[in-house]
Amino acid sequence: MNSNPDAIIIGAGIVGATTALSLTNAGMKVLVIDRGNVATGTTSAGEGNILVSDKAPGPELDLALRSRDAWFEIQEDIGGGFELEAKGGLVVARSEDGLRSLRTLTAAQRIAGIDAQDISITELRALEPHLSHSITDGAFYPQDAQCQPMLAAAHILRATKARGGKFVSGANVTAITTNDGAVTGVVTSQGTFNAPVIVNATGTWAGQIAQLAGSALPIAPRRGFILVSAPTRKIIFHKVYDAEYVANVSSGDADLQSSAVVEGTQSGTILIGASRERVGFQDGIDFEILRILARQAIALFPILADIQLLRAYRGFRPYAPDHLPVIGEDPIFKGFWHNAGHEGAGIGLAPASAQLICDGIFDRPSFMNPTPFAPARFAKAAAS
Amino acid sequence: MELRHQVIVIGGGPAGLNAAKYAANAGCNVALLDSAPRLGGQYWRHTGIESDDQSRHHNFDQGSLLMDAIIANPRITIYPNTTIWSASVINGEVVLRYKDGAFITSRLILATGAYDRSLPFPGWDIPGVMTAGAAQSLLKGSGVIAGKRIVVAGSGPFLLPVAAGLSSHGGKVVGLIEAAGKFAWLPEILSLLQNPAKISEGLGYLLTLRKAKVEMRFKQAVISAHADSDGLLESITVANIDAEFHITSTYSINCDVAAIGWGFTPDTSMAGALGLKEEVAADGSVVVAVDENQRASSAHSELHIFAAGEITGIGGSALSLAEGAIAGLAAADSRTNLRDLKKIRRKARRFALTLQRVYPIALGWKSWLTPETIICRCEEVTHAAIQSAFTELDADDARSAKLMTRCGMGMCQGRICSRNVADLLDSPDADRIKGVYRPIISPITLGELAQDGLL
Repeated sequence: MNSNPDAIIIGAGIVGATTALSLTNAGMKVLVIDRGNVATGTTSAGEGNILVSDKAPGPELDLALRSRDAWFEIQEDIGGGFELEAKGGLVVARSEDGLRSLRTLTAAQRIAGIDAQDISITELRALEPHLSHSITDGAFYPQDAQCQPMLAAAHILRATKARGGKFVSGANVTAITTNDGAVTGVVTSQGTFNAPVIVNATGTWAGQIAQLAGSALPIAPRRGFILVSAPTRKIIFHKVYDAEYVANVSSGDADLQSSAVVEGTQSGTILIGASRERVGFQDGIDFEILRILARQAIALFPILADIQLLRAYRGFRPYAPDHLPVIGEDPIFKGFWHNAGHEGAGIGLAPASAQLICDGIFDRPSFMNPTPFAPARFAKAAAS
Repeated sequence: MELRHQVIVIGGGPAGLNAAKYAANAGCNVALLDSAPRLGGQYWRHTGIESDDQSRHHNFDQGSLLMDAIIANPRITIYPNTTIWSASVINGEVVLRYKDGAFITSRLILATGAYDRSLPFPGWDIPGVMTAGAAQSLLKGSGVIAGKRIVVAGSGPFLLPVAAGLSSHGGKVVGLIEAAGKFAWLPEILSLLQNPAKISEGLGYLLTLRKAKVEMRFKQAVISAHADSDGLLESITVANIDAEFHITSTYSINCDVAAIGWGFTPDTSMAGALGLKEEVAADGSVVVAVDENQRASSAHSELHIFAAGEITGIGGSALSLAEGAIAGLAAADSRTNLRDLKKIRRKARRFALTLQRVYPIALGWKSWLTPETIICRCEEVTHAAIQSAFTELDADDARSAKLMTRCGMGMCQGRICSRNVADLLDSPDADRIKGVYRPIISPITLGELAQDGLL
């Protein structure tokens, strides 16, 4: 009798966990492995954003829209426990230019199916009474949501295990075995595991895993810092950010970009993200960046000046050169699937990305055309 | 504002005071920083009324002399009310940020002391249950007797001055409950007798307690607390316990204050932020690792960073004074009296280890917990929540327990609960050390952070 799994998923972050659940629900026997434990990489270093507001029309927005609903389906499926909340997003403009580009964006987003509401100053104040008086315009996105990402990954993995999946932590992958152009298994510090399907869900480290098989993925870290306040009374009710943030997310510049994203959480803390810079896996805390984030947050909400900062942490977003996630089969090795490179949107995009992978593995049509995310696009770019 | 000093000492308790004194006397320009308005630390805490200081403190005359000498020393600049919120190494120097700027030095002495250790038990969050240190601070700092019927409990020699101080200032101490046996000190008698000063100090407290008719009970512990209809402490359950701290029988005492002390936990948060090497001491606490000259081990070998006092291992004021003196000399590259000081340190260290053997804290306290017992008070995380993170959600260390339950994420940033969580999880040493890193050492407002010139 063959006790091998049908699929091995490398990486127990949010992308690996949702992939494991999708494949399990589709009838496969999965094994999830991680060099650390559940949610020890980028999943534990974010705010838990499930956003549609920060995306311009295009394939990533289609993915985000489907994924946003898929999050609520997962909650239904496994029973929640991860603080999923449709708290709504508020994007504000602080200049004439900012307002013009925001109105252009919301118009395009509405055509793409997003509920993007241009709102008046009165509505703005009703939604966020403590907003700076220098802000006069904004847009409201009721679909924007949030979850607690570590709990989400842990609960999804728990449900996967309850449905027959297996998880091995502390398993560092040292080799990926192939035979005749197809993957056959992984060699890890916890033993060798064989399966005809291997999913690379290692986020920022996905390039290194691809290399082990003899393939390649151009995924690099893009560092970000987040500030966390002491618990406080509820003063911020939505996810609030500057319209400039949308431009920063899609910037290809390696230098520091920063625009504050401010929100209150269920635990009473206020989170302030997010800086973006490509400095490799640089450790430590850059206090200048913390200062910039604090300034930008106060510019949005002057009341924050008196709120205490309790913690700061950093993470590394998995960054692909064209800002699109990498979802699909490896161009060289059959059975080797990549689901990585979601940059700062991995929590939001994970469930729909998992669905694409699942439909790809079963070779059936999916909710959208996955070609824009195909790993093969980099090989083509290099060739041309 | 950037302030540069040849030597910077953080902490104005016995270790920091002596470090500043010795470094200055060896010719250095020294800055002495403390977050409190007055020097002295927890040990020599000021009451605000000079005539009261003597009566509420042991050894206050020794402390006064030392503090006066420091205030009079032209080479020492004192920065009171100065809280360092972050510490890092930039261009080969230590940068210490406070709310108005930064201190910069290449020679740093950390003497950040310790805080009370609490063990969780059902009801430990009821108003009226406090640490022994808190009851003593109320008395020392503001002359306040914490309650009408006070029980002092826990383990260790520190309970004696707390109970004696409270009763000699008019507090009704209805019991002193010590987890160790009445004769637990007997096997260590030879070692103890080598410190006659400490023994006579202890006998003095015992005499005070006997005069006040304070009943001492041994091999017992407070294992639960109960509130009245107003939510205030009404009674406690006391258990007879075995050497492992397992309960053999129980009874109850009515009281409105339970001042409970289970020794101390070193405050290594600044050392952790600077990436200094830490280790787990014999008593299970995480301490800063130091060499013969109190020098800490840093990845930046060009830096001279020293640690002295309780952060290198709980040992009391005599050991802190000796370590501070040695660190001060070493920071100033002086060797005057170094050998004598090391001899004093060796003796004080031996005495500290002896006391740890007399008053061990066994892991049987875990059996006092119920599933509903709060482990992290800031975030109100229960024992059951932590257990289920492990059994259901694959948490396997303090970090994942924290991320999944929020234990240790609140205002105190794990200072109270992280040691207990590590014990609950039977964490290996490596996890205990790793769990301490925090880039923000103490809260700062966003407005202060947003200012220019903080580096």
